[in-house]
Amino acid sequence: MPIITFSSDSYRKSREIAKKTAEALGYKYVDRKILSSVAVKYDIPEAKLIKTLDETPSFMGMSSKAHKQYLAYIQEAVLGELLDDNAVCHGVAAHLYLLGISHVLKVGILMDFDERVRQVADQEKVSIEKAKKIVRRQEKQRKRWSLDNFNLDETDPSLHDMVINISQIDPEEAVSMISTATGYRKFKPMTYSIKCMQDRELAARVRVALLKDFPDVRVQARDGTVVAEIKALKREKHRKSSAVKELVGNISGVHYVEVHAINDIFRQAAESGR
Amino acid sequence: MAIITISRGSYSKGKEVAEKVAARLGYNCISREVLLEASKRFNIPEMKLIRAIHDAPSILDRFQHSKQAYISYIRSALTQRANMDNIVYHGLAGHILLKGVPHVLKVRITVNMKDRIASEMERESIGEKEALALLLKDDHERRKWTKSLYGVDPWDSSLYDLVIRIYKLSVDDAVDFVCQAACRQQFKTTDSSRHIMDDLAIACQVKASLVDHFFDVAVTSEYGNVIIYTKTRERQGQRLKKKVEILKEEIEGINNLEVHAGLPYPPDAV
Repeated sequence: MPIITFSSDSYRKSREIAKKTAEALGYKYVDRKILSSVAVKYDIPEAKLIKTLDETPSFMGMSSKAHKQYLAYIQEAVLGELLDDNAVCHGVAAHLYLLGISHVLKVGILMDFDERVRQVADQEKVSIEKAKKIVRRQEKQRKRWSLDNFNLDETDPSLHDMVINISQIDPEEAVSMISTATGYRKFKPMTYSIKCMQDRELAARVRVALLKDFPDVRVQARDGTVVAEIKALKREKHRKSSAVKELVGNISGVHYVEVHAINDIFRQAAESGR
Repeated sequence: MAIITISRGSYSKGKEVAEKVAARLGYNCISREVLLEASKRFNIPEMKLIRAIHDAPSILDRFQHSKQAYISYIRSALTQRANMDNIVYHGLAGHILLKGVPHVLKVRITVNMKDRIASEMERESIGEKEALALLLKDDHERRKWTKSLYGVDPWDSSLYDLVIRIYKLSVDDAVDFVCQAACRQQFKTTDSSRHIMDDLAIACQVKASLVDHFFDVAVTSEYGNVIIYTKTRERQGQRLKKKVEILKEEIEGINNLEVHAGLPYPPDAV
């Protein structure tokens, strides 16, 4: 059965719909609670992982390197959970890294601007004008976050199979529509789509293993063959390739490792200038 | 019953969805009819109306205000039609022209670019690059039109109640969802929503009658009590008042008509 991902500009409302959908279909519910196990596994405060999902790296805040690493940890954990199908996923940006997998139904939940403003004003006990500013800032932040991390615009409707505005369509109706859509043939897991999911999960695990030593690494996996793309100087290529193979070789599911070492032109220029 | 507006890009299967929804619900499916009606009523060539609602305003248009006039005519014709209820409108800008009416279900249908290119290539017998260029130009024009006239991006999902992507979901699936949503209580016509629709139709009619000579008027209507907002000075104000007196007789449903000069326009004014 399919995986349903939810993304929204209203976290609380979409969580409610996601939970109800999971209950209605009897699916597993995956949300930010998964972060606690990630925090324990990698010995990181959970608050930092939450911050990773909400904020972009900044000079005064989280470094770009740490942000990338934490996000990779989260992706690895989420993809691991979603391997079993029959899952509803909310609040972990899964729709951005599950693109191209056919048994994933990507749902966007929206709420009218004014309603969101009222909600923020109530929650934060601020004036309507201030709440408007907060909501606009949040909108910008969400868009920037998705563009920075996945080069995708979160607000682009083509990232979703359906977008439902719950200011007019009530949550129960939304749940019913989503549940109906999961029954469609195109969202049924196929051998190929399951394999794609497994490949993506393996690539995420390999990336986590390599990120510490190779922050620029890009990983692809297919049928147990892993292709890692790293940056290196000419003289380092052999050493770094061996290091990658050593780190990745023991990971379960990896049968063959191919390393593509790309010339690090910036470091090369810096070295030649010395 | 509901009014359904289906917004779409070219070759986005929105027309197909609209026709099937209308057939299933027993509604009238309209698009070009609105332009024909406006063309007939205001004696403007249809082509000019099509350009007005499709192409973004040029610098010249901004001075001539002809585009605003044409859009007022189209809006007037559309609201008259919508007033009869039970319609599916899949022409341009329905979600904007019928803004503020509670029983309007606003739907956007999108299709991935590859499918759109294939449809355009087949229909126009052109190559892939040419088809892509045409589609991008068309999309750009439509976005520019909405942004320049109404300050919103038609690709912004928050303008709609439902956005459906025809890719994994088929046209028939989309039809199911739209019909399912349209039958909900929220989109049923109530007395108060009918009044809102009536008032919008009256305001649009008044605006369409005035826009030729007084391009900067804004009109509101509440239970047939119409207020015309204007920035015009005393002399023109007298002309406007004379014209307004005639309108009272011409347009059905007006209880009272007032002209307010120099006041800021309310945001919901037509």
